[in-house]
Amino acid sequence: MTTIKPDRRSILKAGAAGAALAALGAPHIANAQAATLKITTWGGKWGEIMKGDLLPAFEREFKCTVSADQAFPFLPKLQASPRGNPIYDVLHANSNEQWKAVEFGIVEPKVDPKNVPNLKDVYPYAINDKIAGVSIFTSGIGLGYRTDKGLGKPTSWKDLADPKLAGQRGGYLIPVNSLGQAHLMMLGQIYGSGMQDLDAAYKALEALKPIKLFDFTGQMEKALLSAEVTMGVIHDSGVYRYEGTPEPVDFALPSEGVLALEQVLTVTPGSKVKELAYAYIDYMLRPDVQKKLAEAVWYSPSNTKVQLDAKYDAKLFNTPEKVARLIQPDWKWYNARKDAIDLRVTRILRG
Amino acid sequence: MADLSAPALSVPAAPVLSPRRPAVSAIAWAVGPALLLFVVFFILPFGVMALLSVLTGNPAIQSGVTFTAQHYERFFEDSLYFEALVATLRIGAITTVASLVIGYPLAHLMARTHSRIGHALLLMAVIAPMLTGIVVRTFAWMTLLQDRGVINTTLLSWGLISSPLKLMYNEFGTIVALVHIYVPFMVLTLTGVIGRIDERLEQAARSLGANRTRTFLEVTLPLSLPGILAGSLLVFALSISAYVTPFLMGGTDVLTLPMLIYQQVGASFNLGFAGALGVVLLAVSLIVIIAYNNVLGRFAGGEKMA
Repeated sequence: MTTIKPDRRSILKAGAAGAALAALGAPHIANAQAATLKITTWGGKWGEIMKGDLLPAFEREFKCTVSADQAFPFLPKLQASPRGNPIYDVLHANSNEQWKAVEFGIVEPKVDPKNVPNLKDVYPYAINDKIAGVSIFTSGIGLGYRTDKGLGKPTSWKDLADPKLAGQRGGYLIPVNSLGQAHLMMLGQIYGSGMQDLDAAYKALEALKPIKLFDFTGQMEKALLSAEVTMGVIHDSGVYRYEGTPEPVDFALPSEGVLALEQVLTVTPGSKVKELAYAYIDYMLRPDVQKKLAEAVWYSPSNTKVQLDAKYDAKLFNTPEKVARLIQPDWKWYNARKDAIDLRVTRILRG
Repeated sequence: MADLSAPALSVPAAPVLSPRRPAVSAIAWAVGPALLLFVVFFILPFGVMALLSVLTGNPAIQSGVTFTAQHYERFFEDSLYFEALVATLRIGAITTVASLVIGYPLAHLMARTHSRIGHALLLMAVIAPMLTGIVVRTFAWMTLLQDRGVINTTLLSWGLISSPLKLMYNEFGTIVALVHIYVPFMVLTLTGVIGRIDERLEQAARSLGANRTRTFLEVTLPLSLPGILAGSLLVFALSISAYVTPFLMGGTDVLTLPMLIYQQVGASFNLGFAGALGVVLLAVSLIVIIAYNNVLGRFAGGEKMA
């Protein structure tokens, strides 16, 4: 029996040949190491679908890896990272934060349709002047309420001020929550001359006391489910997701209009993988991807081509007529006054 | 805190044998990692925060950044910030006193228990809450204290109250949860100090005619003052920097500086003002701690305690 004694040179040759074969046979492995897309995304059910299904499919198709950050807050992390090597390539955030990021120059204000072909199919609200980047989904902010407390279905934002709801109505800590900020502007619209009538909004906010305040929608959901709150400001997704369960909660669209809570994507100017970043946005706007997420978390898709199943089709904002009911706040205007508003509302709501 | 002003002991000068550099002791080398940790995780971040608080922006990523006092001016422009500072210190002080009142008897019992099993059981009872996270413990308090929580639901069902008691979304609920979270720190600190007090001193006081109360007040309590100081400083420092518990338990009634700092970083993205709030909180806390140290030192016989 002949014994083969490997020397250093033969081992190196064999190793190089093996690596070349591996790269030829599975090019995505080599590419995957070369390209990593860093994004932010939500947790919860949204995060489950993204991490369990959509992101692995994106990685396979584009032969890359996706690093998804789900730990808030995203913007301070991006703010602290070098402009030339940002911590994220794609920022997923609500519209108010995206406008702040635009102001800091850490995200691109618009997405070019040449880079994201699916933009041609989105509703105008998803890319209009009220939006930085592109809104891939939206939900409607209205009134969530318990159906077991003898309340009629609310029809107006004014129903939240019903004296019977004292201490049983729910809102948000306005300085930290975009739903609370949007609701404040809506109070100006309902009780004053428009969404920028802050004096009327402050007066109306004062009249809502005593009110229970929460910092994020998940807490409002829990408060509604536990009957800690009987009626509260919430987005439709936070209530519709309990459809088909025994939970006695429902959602009402106020007649004065529904506030839009957009899920916005932007690309960072210093991203080293911009093509991949645009491809990701395009992927998130694909009808099949939109349908999957919309039906999982009850978000209204931005792509006009999405065909939703009947029960989602009945409730989500997926026709030009329904979309016309969405009111988009002017976040640039709000952000410019945020510090003063924060001080005032904190004073109003204390005690 | 060492008293550097104390006169050094008078020692006859030893003859200099050689001009060798003094050898660095092994203990000094062992302190190295802790010192490095302190520099990297406290001095450096604090320095950056303090620097940002006097700049118009972040010079690492922006151009044209200049020095400014605007963030400190803003603190004094609206009384809300000062009220938040006072609320922070008030919550810290009440939490510390309540932790001491609850923790001292427990620590005394632990230190004086001669049964090994008894000591182990007490230790487990004290440490067990620390094994769950602060968020979990705070949520547990929420399920107890909220309007539809265990306490209010029980009292309502028994007909003892007609409407829910306001047990949370106020300072009361915040302090209850903070005390629960920080009592173990007080107990563990005090147990070590009380355990080192020679029991024969207490026995001598009793044999000389002092009753239990007088023995405690004149022997045990003064000798345990270093533990009271250390435990109080620890609980106070943790309470005034707490964010999660005041945020979840305080609702709109409670506004502390850590809540404002997070708000500035996480929602207003104003790192300069957040830095200024941090510097103010640290400076005021240091003044309070130094004053407390001096006052307690006088009770202990004119010596500074730490």
